[in-house]
Parts: sequence; structure tokens; C-alpha cells
Amino acid sequence: MINIENLSVRFDNAEVLQSINLDIPEGTWSCLVGPNGAGKTTLLRTMLGMQSYSGSIKYNDREIAKNKSLNIAFVPQRPSIPAAMSVAEYVMLGRAKLDGWGKESAHSRSIVHEMLEATQLLGMQSQLVNTLSGGEMQRVLIARALVQEPEVMLLDEPTSALDLHHQISVLNKVEEIKATGVTIISTMHDITLGAMYAERIIIMQSGRVLLDGESQSVIHSPELRSAFDDRISVHKLENGRPVIIAAKRDVTI
Amino acid sequence: MKKNQIDRVWRWQITASAAAALLIACLLAVSFGPVNLNFGSIIRTLLGLPNGLENEDRTLLLELRLPRVVLGALVGAALATSGAVYQSVFRNPLADPYLLGTASGAGLGATIAITNGGGDLHALLPIFAFLGGVLAVGATFLVAGRLFADPSTLLLAGIAVGSFATAFQTYLQQRNSAALRPVYSWILGELTVANWDVVKWAGFYILIALFILIRISKVLDALMLSDEEAYSLGVSPQKIRLIAVAAATLATATAVSASGLIGFVGIVVPHLVRGLTKRATNRSLLSIAFVGAAFLVIADLGARTLLSPAELPIGVITAFVGAPFFLFVLRARNRGSQ
Repeated sequence: MINIENLSVRFDNAEVLQSINLDIPEGTWSCLVGPNGAGKTTLLRTMLGMQSYSGSIKYNDREIAKNKSLNIAFVPQRPSIPAAMSVAEYVMLGRAKLDGWGKESAHSRSIVHEMLEATQLLGMQSQLVNTLSGGEMQRVLIARALVQEPEVMLLDEPTSALDLHHQISVLNKVEEIKATGVTIISTMHDITLGAMYAERIIIMQSGRVLLDGESQSVIHSPELRSAFDDRISVHKLENGRPVIIAAKRDVTI
Repeated sequence: MKKNQIDRVWRWQITASAAAALLIACLLAVSFGPVNLNFGSIIRTLLGLPNGLENEDRTLLLELRLPRVVLGALVGAALATSGAVYQSVFRNPLADPYLLGTASGAGLGATIAITNGGGDLHALLPIFAFLGGVLAVGATFLVAGRLFADPSTLLLAGIAVGSFATAFQTYLQQRNSAALRPVYSWILGELTVANWDVVKWAGFYILIALFILIRISKVLDALMLSDEEAYSLGVSPQKIRLIAVAAATLATATAVSASGLIGFVGIVVPHLVRGLTKRATNRSLLSIAFVGAAFLVIADLGARTLLSPAELPIGVITAFVGAPFFLFVLRARNRGSQ
């Protein structure tokens, strides 16, 4: 269980996260949604322990900032892998926390093999990362996080660079990971897609949590539209599933 | 490869091969020159066995060729390793050891020593060059503001500080045209000054820096990830960057002070080793140090023998080999990514 209480983060003089309170049960998928600059990525970085903060973030009653042994994996939005690195070499780095840097036990090499297989990358292990497509690269990032055998996995916009087909395949993979008991916290722009997978949606704006609750109740909630300044419209499909799209309005720039 | 396991990322045999290449390069370099020395006699002399070299040949080996080869190896190892480390820290495959203003600062220091010193200060050239290099890197960090807030800010600050130092150096040269030639020959790099005293002080700093870099080489791989991923693996990227850049700068500044500006080693050697082994890991750092040392020892052998009895500046040789090689690497990389 992750408990976030009265969490605030300041950059210079600006408060980028303000009084955040969240309880995230183990083995669930929570999706942070909000416009750019809402503080979603900062919240993920703070949950990783990278950012100094006031208030508290506890994982099973231990403060995250003081607990270096916590195994939280992070899947970045934009990878910064050197062009000359192979898929296997990059994924192997995920074992560093468990094995020690520079070590590569037979067990670790088996785990990497297993995760490459699970992410359909087995035939590409010697391929250099700069030759991969966006979808393959995203799977590589996820495989690197998976071999870390994390308790919590933070994903920053895991689908932003992908076409619809690859978005679904990546999100299906994350769903499988969640089924193994890993707590998933992701940021996403597409609230409809987020609500299809995550059981919980947390809407953020200007460093605050505006709406937080079970996915279906959030996207049906009357406050949703005001959270997005009336810039969205909610439609229902034939099967009753809601679809949220940007509302066309006269925009003054 | 066993079934259901991926291949090892690094093998000790690669490092051992690089060490063997360095040994062979050193043996060739002490053996060949205007006077050729016999391999067997050289080895017997070095191991203190009977029937070794005698008289002038012994002096030639122990007092002239050996310190020069050892200094070449130290400088080559320092430049290649620092280049590889800068490339990892700045996530830039074209980063070189002179990136943060080290070269321009050292050049300015050397020019001050040559133009103002006459006989006295000229002897202190290595110290002036070293101080110039270290001060320039210090200024780069000062200009960049926060330590490693952003690697690209640091890079730009390095360019600005380097340009300032070069401008000042040019001004000094203009005012003292008699100093043009010695400054120019220093800039092209030279190992002719090698003696055991230079080897001792340069070796001291270079070996300390290399020891630190090799010790942290495994963790350096974390810098090739995003900061968040590195942090999630228990590494503080800021701390590792600071240690890495400090040690690489010490190695570079010492190398420049001992032998002038020798270009391309820091780019060619890391790319060569990483390209041949098809590995990006910094666990290759020890191999890169060995190959860098071997590369410069062989380049110096060329500098001594190609136009014998005249000598070519070693920087000319490394550029002659390095520039085409570099273009070749660039082309190969571009083809690979297409």
C-alpha cells in the first residue's frame, strides 16, 4: 500500500505539487491524467524518491525518501539509450540493483531471456536500439523495468509515441504485469484509454488532484468536464462505454 | 550460449586481448628506431637476466626509448579512457577529452609559460598547462551554474570558456611572435620530452585518475539510462557524473601537460573498441585504456621512424589516422541506423 499525505513539491519559488493525498492499494493500476504541466511526471519522480518534498510518501509504512531498498521501476517517456547499445545489453542493466553493477549471473541471464520472450523481443536481442521502431523500443523499456522484478512500476506516458495497435499491445502487457501483483502507476493523456485499463483515474491540474476515484465513476462524473475547463465532450458508444474527446471550440491563441 | 539464457555482456578474454595488444605494441616500440634492438635482448634486459643489452644499447633502451614508450602509453590510456567517460557522461558519442575547456585552458597556460618565461618559466610549462586546464574546467562549471543541472548547459559553458581561453592565447601569441613556433609545436603534441621524471609525475596523476574511473566503470553504465531509471536502480546520477568528470579531467589535464595536445585518441579508440566488441558498456573501460595506450605507442613509433632521422609531431600522426577513421565510423553508424 502506498500512502501519500499532504505532499508538496517546490521548484525554486513555484509549488509544482500542492497538498496531494492518495492511497494506492497493492496490485492495482492507477492512471494519472491531466494537461501538460499538471505535475504528473513530477509526482512519479517524487514517488521514486528523486525529488525533495514536504509531507509524506509511505510504501508499506516506510517513508520512500529513506528507503533505498525499495524496488520501484521507472519506464521513461523518452529513452536516452546510446545508439551503440544492443537490446540485450540495455535490458540486462535492469538486473543491476539485484545483482550488483557489472555482475551477470546465469540466473539473471535466464530472467532477461524470459522477459525478452514475454515482450516478443527474443529475436532482436543483438539488435542495436537505434534500429528499433517506436513500438519495439517501448517494449524494450518495459522489459528493462520488468527484469528489475519491481514491486511498483511507474510508467511515464507509455503510449504517447505509439500508433493505436501498439498502444493496445503495450497496455495489454502492462495489464499482464499488474496481474502478477505489481502495483502500476502510469501517466496518460488519453483518459478513455486510461479508463479502459486502469481501475483508478486520478485527474491532476496545476499540481493538485482534482478528481480521484474508480475509473468508471470518474469518467461519468459531472465534475470531469469542469476539470478540463469544458474542453472535453463525453460520448457514449452503443455498448454504453464512454469516450472522451476534445471538444471543438473557438480557441483564442 | 546456453538455451534460455542471453549471451554474456562482457568477457574477460576481451580485456586480456587488449592487454596483450599493448604488450606487443610496447615491445615493437622499444625495439624499432634509428637503431633496432633485438626482442630477446630487450626482454632479458628488462627481466634482469644475463646476456641482455650492454653499453649504448642499454642506455638507449632504459633512458630514452622506455620512458618515452611508458609516457606514450600513459597519455594514450588517459586520453582514450577520458574520451569514453565523457561520451557516457554527456550521452554524446562525439564528446572528446578536451570538451570542457581543458585543452584551451592548458594551451593558454602553456602559452603564458612560453611567452613570459624565457628560460625559467619554460621549465614550468607542464605545471602552467595543468593549472590552465583545471582552472578552465572550474570556470566551465562556474559559468554553467548548478553542478550538472543539465549536461548540455555544461557543454555550452565549456565551449564559451574554451573560446575565451583561445582568444586570450592568440592575443599573447600576437604580442610575442617569437613564441609562435614553440607554442605551435607544443599544440601539435610531442613525446620527445619524455624522461623518467616526467613519467613519474604524469604517471602518478594519470594512474590515480584511471584507478578511479576503472573502479566506477560498472556503475557508469547507469549514466547511459535516463536519470529516473538510474535512480530506480539505486544510483545517484549526479554523484557519479561529478566523480567521473573530475577524474577524467585530471587524467586529461595531466596528459596535456606532459605531451601537448594529441587529438583523436579520445574519440577513435572508444569507438574502435565499442565497435569491434559490439558493446556499449563501460565495462570496456580497461580495454579502452589498453588499446588507447597501444594506439599512441604505435603512433609515436610512426612519428619517430617515418621521416627518420627527423621526427613528426605525434598529433599529426593521430590526426592522419584518426580523421579518416572517424569519418569511416560515422558513415558506418549512419548506414546502421538507416
